[in-house]
Amino acid sequence: MEQKLRQEARALLEQNKVDWIIGFEPGSLKFTTTPLITRDKADTERLVINPFIFNNLADFLTETKGRVGIVAKGCDSRSIVSLIQDNKVVREDVVILGVPCPGLIDLAKVEGLTAKDRDELDEITRQGDKVVVKVGGQKKEFASNQVLFDHCLACELPTPQEYDILLGEPIPPAPNIEASGKNIDALKKLTPAERWQSWQDELSRCIRCYACRNVCPACFCQRCFVEESEPQWIAPMPRWQDNLIFQITRNIHVAGRCTDCGECERACPVNIPLRSLTREMYDIVGELFKFKSGMDKEALPLMTHYEQEEAEDFFR
Amino acid sequence: MAKKISKKDIAQLLKAWSQQFAVLAPSRKRGVAEMAEWDGKDVSFLDWYRNTVVPPKASFLPPMEEMFRFQKDKGKYSIEPPSKNGQKQLIFGIRPCDARAMAILDMTFEDAYQDPYYLSKRKNTLLVGLGCANPYESCFCTSLGISPSESADVDLMLTDIGDHFFIEEITAKGKELTAKTSGLKDANKDDEAEARKAKETAYNKVTRKLDTEGIKDKLLASFDDEEFWQKAAAKCVSCGICTLLCPTCYCFDINDELVKDEGARFRSWDSCGFSLYTRMPMENPREEKWRRVRQKVCHKYEFYPMTFDIIACTGCGRCIRLCPVNWDITKVLESVPAEAKAGK
Repeated sequence: MEQKLRQEARALLEQNKVDWIIGFEPGSLKFTTTPLITRDKADTERLVINPFIFNNLADFLTETKGRVGIVAKGCDSRSIVSLIQDNKVVREDVVILGVPCPGLIDLAKVEGLTAKDRDELDEITRQGDKVVVKVGGQKKEFASNQVLFDHCLACELPTPQEYDILLGEPIPPAPNIEASGKNIDALKKLTPAERWQSWQDELSRCIRCYACRNVCPACFCQRCFVEESEPQWIAPMPRWQDNLIFQITRNIHVAGRCTDCGECERACPVNIPLRSLTREMYDIVGELFKFKSGMDKEALPLMTHYEQEEAEDFFR
Repeated sequence: MAKKISKKDIAQLLKAWSQQFAVLAPSRKRGVAEMAEWDGKDVSFLDWYRNTVVPPKASFLPPMEEMFRFQKDKGKYSIEPPSKNGQKQLIFGIRPCDARAMAILDMTFEDAYQDPYYLSKRKNTLLVGLGCANPYESCFCTSLGISPSESADVDLMLTDIGDHFFIEEITAKGKELTAKTSGLKDANKDDEAEARKAKETAYNKVTRKLDTEGIKDKLLASFDDEEFWQKAAAKCVSCGICTLLCPTCYCFDINDELVKDEGARFRSWDSCGFSLYTRMPMENPREEKWRRVRQKVCHKYEFYPMTFDIIACTGCGRCIRLCPVNWDITKVLESVPAEAKAGK
């Protein structure tokens, strides 16, 4: 798959079909990759595909000028489609290099299972349904369900539907909806007072680095509401109440755009379980509007139009 | 004379210190590793602690802080000065990189303007350092002249020597503290040799290297190399992780909040990574991302050395470890062109 990607990417640049290639290259730490944004065909030799291609590269599309060849997993391809729906990206300007993705490995889960930090592990390899971790000369085997990201466990579109070049065999949707929603279900079992307390605790850690917003392709506003001063919607200080309003408002703004790529939660440096908000919103959007973000580039964006037969019982 | 204490007596030691100080120690109770008020019993951090995610600067320059309150009465404002918190603090377990970061921050906060908020906390705080036995892969402190297990920037320095910690008295305040602390034993020659060995081992475990030789001049020469900086900045998403969680970054924003007739002035962490940071009514000199990335790198490795003769980076590696796109400052600094581009 990697060889094919490198050839295709190089060809796109050589034949002047794109100005930029956006993909992944090996990162500077173990088990990381890093975005490669280049117009130099020699750089395409460094492109990789592995279980650590975490970033949703669609995030870079709106700021990259010119035609772009972009590596996209299923969720990323949905973000691209969503950007097309919102007229943020012109379909003809992107060449989607689709990667059928069997799920990404959540290093935090591996750390939990091995009681080691990621840099203390020697090797992590995916072998079919298993993930083999080598640590201190020992081999530990885990079912992939134990170590994939929560959002990957219930991935509805592992293989991009919208693509120009598909780099591998299609993969069926991931079925593990229950395991994927474990954290959200636990929250739902709390009383409202307990849940309120839980979010107060979680959001009191927020330092307003805005990584959740900045890694999110759906957060494409030129000027975010948090930066408005007249009127000032929330205080710039990281007080939990203001942090809460920030997250709730962001969540509403990305409703119908969020593709459950999980990047907001992974990027958060202080471990706020943000996906518990975004996935819940994703499910509500599906239930009330029968809308799945980023599936069909011809579909109108959910939040910018109204249909008469739409449910009106959404105030609950 | 160096001292030592048995590891199993650490809880006892912290309890004794809690009588005189608000003791802060590494904690994950709030869901992220940080220095937090010690709960009076838990010393499990001795097993898991490598470094905190939130740097100890947060105890001196908190993410948000009330500066003073004010009231409005018949069109006139009256100001209520901040309550003086004279509470003495002791931070247990600070790493040498973070202790050096405090010394670097001091230079700014006690420069021409003496910052009372920062300095009052700083002067009331004792730092008890704990040598790093297991540095992260992202750590590069040795390239900045810092040893992971030695420090001149703390009051006491502890080194793991098996079942004991070896204790060095670094400052007079540290000496005074040990004199008043019971339960410490005198260290002998063997302990000293053990400590030396532990320090050497730790030093050699820091494998990430950065050549800082001439970096200031290289940055100066490449300041206008837009192509270089554009490339260096391409994958940055302009979030604030690397700055807000940097132990030497100190930028803050100030905001007033008025509700009815009462309010307060707050200051809170800010980041040069945000484009809002430099926005002015008519223009923004750092609207483009590459200018902000350049600012961040140059402030640490060029401007701070010009002003204070020290690089404002301690190689703690947080910015590398925590970055969502693995933007790596060591890689960027390695690739700064040696010469200015012709014609620029």
